[in-house]
Amino acid sequence: MSVPRRRRGSSKSEDTEQLLPATKSTGNSSWSGVEDKENMGRDRTAEFQSALRSLQGRQQVRQLQPNPMTSANRMNRNLDQYTEFMRVAKSIGKNISKTYSKLEKLALLAKRKSLFEDKSVEIQELTFIIKEDINGLNQDIAKLQKISRGSQTVNGKHIQSHSSGVVVGLQSKLASMSTEFKNVLQIRTENLKEQRTRQDQFTQGPVTSSLPPSALTGFYKGSALVPEDSYSGGDISIDIGDNAGALRHRQSQLLAQDETESYLSSRADAMQSIESTIVELGGIFQQLATMVKEQEEVVQRIDSNIEDAEMNVEAAHTELLKYFRSVASNRWLMIKVFALLIFFFVIFVVFLG
Amino acid sequence: MVKLFAISVIRRPIDGPPDGRCVLLKGSYDLASFGFFQRASVKEFMSFSSQTIVERTSPATRQSVKEQEFFCHVYVRVDGLSVVLVSDIDYPSRVAHTLMTKVLDDFSSKFEWRSVGPEALDAYRDLDQTLAKYQNPREADALTRIQTELDETKIIMHNTIEAVLERGEKLDDLVAKSDNLSAQSKMFYKTAKKTNSCCNF
Repeated sequence: MSVPRRRRGSSKSEDTEQLLPATKSTGNSSWSGVEDKENMGRDRTAEFQSALRSLQGRQQVRQLQPNPMTSANRMNRNLDQYTEFMRVAKSIGKNISKTYSKLEKLALLAKRKSLFEDKSVEIQELTFIIKEDINGLNQDIAKLQKISRGSQTVNGKHIQSHSSGVVVGLQSKLASMSTEFKNVLQIRTENLKEQRTRQDQFTQGPVTSSLPPSALTGFYKGSALVPEDSYSGGDISIDIGDNAGALRHRQSQLLAQDETESYLSSRADAMQSIESTIVELGGIFQQLATMVKEQEEVVQRIDSNIEDAEMNVEAAHTELLKYFRSVASNRWLMIKVFALLIFFFVIFVVFLG
Repeated sequence: MVKLFAISVIRRPIDGPPDGRCVLLKGSYDLASFGFFQRASVKEFMSFSSQTIVERTSPATRQSVKEQEFFCHVYVRVDGLSVVLVSDIDYPSRVAHTLMTKVLDDFSSKFEWRSVGPEALDAYRDLDQTLAKYQNPREADALTRIQTELDETKIIMHNTIEAVLERGEKLDDLVAKSDNLSAQSKMFYKTAKKTNSCCNF
């Protein structure tokens, strides 16, 4: 009886030990390191050594332990499944953080808006790697979910909820990472489109780009047919044996078919480029119309402002006219009032004097 | 520098292997770029090589052959009527083939070429006109002309949109100024009203 109890005791400490690594692998050591710095007197080396011993013991126990079906070992098995689960979850978490850093690198690369195409190879490789990683992580999380569901029937309720919470957390992290990946890809395609339009502005139109290939195809196929002429001042002599002529004839047939196809394909390319140019022009016209419509509103605002100003000026003008009239007519009143005052002053002086 | 040197319409027998029975029906040459004394030899060289190429080409094929500094475009139709176009290296071959097809169509619609006499051939001046016209492939070929016009239009549209953006900026300026103006006129009105209302004698 003492043996299973010891095992249970040791496995309980393993439990706490494993919870910490599962969430943050580096946090534990740094946290204990900070504690050591703050409390100089607190010596945790004994705890450290006991943890080491228990971890080593756990691994040995795992190697030595067969698969018994007794009830005393059943709880060990549950805890073992739990440790398996936590270990897988830890590895998945590590992979997720690694993929996150790769995604950040890709986002940095994709945001560059220069006209240089040097990084496209790296970008493509990175996208491929990240896609593979995301797929692998997806499968790992699916496996983890299966493990947690498989061990659900024998574990306790808390362990069940904890494992399901861990799976949900990992899935949400993966989902956010894939949405970010999609955003980065969209940004990259938009930047590619911008670069292409800018290149089109700086170089010539697609006319020159569609013609040289057809000229080139003619160049490469041409020299097989006509023999080298010795053209010296007008004397032309051509020597062809019958066999060589027949061979060239067959060659010319094959080449000629390609020639027709290349001619037709160059025509098709020219048509396509014309069509795309027309579509672009249509879009530009649309944008132009939108911009003019938006400016329409501004024009109306200007109009109303000016009308207000005119109304105000008219009103002020009438006020001034009224004032002027009143001032002008007031003069007579002022004269009358002053005349009255002088009259009273004279009477006052006469009365006194 | 794109340049056409010669167009020649050649009748080629389609039955059995050709052995020099190609007959030059009509050719027109534009050899102004060569020196005066070389012209005859160049002309003969061109006609001979055209006939040779037509002999070597099977019916219903097109070809473009590079030779010293010329390009020989050849188009042999199914019924044996063929046309050879001698141009310089820069001439776009798509335009050349379009031109040749057009020439053949015109020619075959004009006469019954299997049995036509030399006088009627002499009176046929269209080849010279076509040669002169297609010296400038940009303008003559419909596809390239459309493409150049569209590119010009696109540039004009870009300029138009920039002008509209400037117009937008100026309109914003105007809006601010008119706002200012209306505010000031309002103050003017209020001041006038105030002067009028108080201290009436």
